[in-house]
Amino acid sequence: MTLRLIIALTLGSVAFGAHANGSIDAGKQKSQTCQACHGADGNGIGITMYPILAGQHADYLRKALGDYKSGARVNPIMAGFAGALSEQDIADLAAYFSSQQGPLVELNADPAK
Amino acid sequence: MKRLNALALASLALVTLPFAAAHAQGDPALGRQLAYTCTGCHGIAGYKNAYPQYHVPRIAGQNYDYLLAALIAYQKGERTHPTMQAQAASFSETDLQNLAAFIASAGKVTP
Repeated sequence: MTLRLIIALTLGSVAFGAHANGSIDAGKQKSQTCQACHGADGNGIGITMYPILAGQHADYLRKALGDYKSGARVNPIMAGFAGALSEQDIADLAAYFSSQQGPLVELNADPAK
Repeated sequence: MKRLNALALASLALVTLPFAAAHAQGDPALGRQLAYTCTGCHGIAGYKNAYPQYHVPRIAGQNYDYLLAALIAYQKGERTHPTMQAQAASFSETDLQNLAAFIASAGKVTP
């Protein structure tokens, strides 16, 4: 009985935490559709009109998906996918792709560095 | 009327631009000379956009075709962000190609 309560509490708090921060594991589970264009790890499939997502900031990815969903950012392909996502889905997907390794980095225009 | 047709064709071409397989490649060396302003936001680790607050995206190492499409969309006002629209509007299309080429080339080397 106590064990059940602990398990329930643990699961409950995990779900609560995931809502705030997104869950990498849950995002991976939900990323099947994204992978067709953005690659399994967000590094693409060699089609360069699609952005690399791996290593991008999670909050920027959330903003992008939210804007596609609301229509603030217009893209017929992404509107169809993002429109079907919940806030939790968006947080999870952003957590997953931002956790992957890729070439993205802050821009440095100084050749000396 | 002819002019209208030409305009319609031109806008069609621009609409399809993001879907084109390849556009003219820019010159990264020329783009580097234009990129100083970009680093004011995109070159500072942890730099955040205000209202709403989120990290400005990491762009170095991003795909050339995506970067160019994004810059053109800002220039045309199809993608809205006050700072990015103003920046993109200040450049010619050749400038944007050069910028995209430099930014795409500036990523970290991955194994």
